[in-house]
Amino acid sequence: MELTFLLYLSSGLFLGWSLGASEASNFGTAVATKMIKFRTAAIISSVCVILGAVIEGSGATKTLDTLGDITSLAGAFMVALSAALTTAWMVRISIPVSTSQAIVGAIIGWNFFAGRSTDLTILSEIITAWFLGPIFGGIFAVILYALLKLIFTHWKLHILRKDNLTRIALILAGAFGMYALGANNIANVMGVFVKSSPLPALKLPLGIVLSQEQVLFLLGSIAISIGISTYSHKVIKTIGNTIMKLSPLMAWVVVLAHGIVLYIFSSVELRDLLISWHLPTLPLVPVSATQAIIGSVIGLGLAKGGRDLNWNIIGKIIISFIITPITSAVICYISLFFLQNVFQQVVY
Amino acid sequence: MFHLHLSLFSKAKALETDIDRFHDKLIDASMTFTQAIKIYTSEGRSNDFQKHSKQIKQIEHNADELRRNIENNLYSYNLIPDLRADVLELIENFDKVINKIDEVTYMFYAEQPIIPEEYQMSFNDLVRLSADAAENMCKASRAFFRDISTVRDYSQKVYFVEHESDLCSRNMIENIFASDRSLAEKIQLRQFIDGIANIADQAEDFIDQLLIFTIKRDI
Repeated sequence: MELTFLLYLSSGLFLGWSLGASEASNFGTAVATKMIKFRTAAIISSVCVILGAVIEGSGATKTLDTLGDITSLAGAFMVALSAALTTAWMVRISIPVSTSQAIVGAIIGWNFFAGRSTDLTILSEIITAWFLGPIFGGIFAVILYALLKLIFTHWKLHILRKDNLTRIALILAGAFGMYALGANNIANVMGVFVKSSPLPALKLPLGIVLSQEQVLFLLGSIAISIGISTYSHKVIKTIGNTIMKLSPLMAWVVVLAHGIVLYIFSSVELRDLLISWHLPTLPLVPVSATQAIIGSVIGLGLAKGGRDLNWNIIGKIIISFIITPITSAVICYISLFFLQNVFQQVVY
Repeated sequence: MFHLHLSLFSKAKALETDIDRFHDKLIDASMTFTQAIKIYTSEGRSNDFQKHSKQIKQIEHNADELRRNIENNLYSYNLIPDLRADVLELIENFDKVINKIDEVTYMFYAEQPIIPEEYQMSFNDLVRLSADAAENMCKASRAFFRDISTVRDYSQKVYFVEHESDLCSRNMIENIFASDRSLAEKIQLRQFIDGIANIADQAEDFIDQLLIFTIKRDI
């Protein structure tokens, strides 16, 4: 059973690996400007992504769970595989893809195939969150930039001390960003397997017990970590030299802004806190790290006096909102048909 | 990693001190230069002038050592990687002004020009203006490292003083060439005037570059 499970889980692990390889660009500028070594960045990223996933991964997972109640292991395998294939294809045609959009599309494909209805309230919440991700990224970047400008207007720091401070701030923001990525995006990687997972709870030293769900998140986040260590070097360098060709301080703004976006869409504690203060809450939904980063960069550009919005990249994001879930849903539907009728597997 | 950061902090602190000392050298050089030329115009190549001339040589030598130290440390410890190339260029061009002061002082020492009495005051004025340009350049450069918001103020002073030194040197050259001195004397005096005015010109070039780097550094 365990071996069969691992075989089925492989598609989720592959999705995790590709997420780690493509979306873990938090340390892009820091590594590209040689402020931090890639090895240091990879180690910090891996540890934080695992912690984020295991500690706070359940919030966004529950939302995906409500969207599609996938109880069959074979069905979950195909949903994750369809999302992974769609992501890989989108990356190939240079669309800033999100695994969140791919997995949601795949779940809807599964719902269609299984004849289940899709909860439109949840779906609209999810789609709203996709739009809000980059918009919030931009807003947080503007606020952080204004704050930073205020601080450095009054705080006269020697260029070298500022450099050291920036280095530490970049590491902390990157670590927070990775923690938030783990908390938010583990739902994409492992969410569909939660209902069908036969894994037992795990007892760790110091009296720490990982629930069945957390063990699954641990495996998924390890896959993300492997993606970071094995393949993200090139992506980090590309992002560091192209989309995020920013000064280290501006990179800090972008990384922190996108980290906050991911965090507010994942943290159950934060939502409970907002409820207790009678403030409006946000749905706990997996959003795209790359799109939040793009939103932050655009916001930063506007805050710095740039007048033109890059409509090309905004257009690509909106296209990905439409194309990614549809493609993923179609791939999933067709694949489930084959899995059920050719390979005789129970998919729902 | 904690050790790495402690080490980075101490290296940065040492480098910060070196950069400050490097800036001090220009102030030392320009003040000694002003005194040296004042002595020369009144006493010629006296012992006092020679002492000042040696001091300037020593300052220039120390500044070179500090420059090399700063350049090595910036690369060895991977400090300010994104601004390193700009800072290195600034340090190099800053050093050129100190070198120019040394070069002009040596010209006085070696060639021993005769400064006619009617031009002595103008020579001292020109030296004061060039030294002023160099000192304000030094303040602007310090501000680049410490308080970027004041770079523009000092830069403006450099531009103003450089313009004054231009007017002064042109006036002197016109007067000298209108006099009935020998052509050799006229050419020699003009070379010295050009040399002194060049210090202010180099300070202005440095400021042009500094302002571009300041825009790049502004957040």
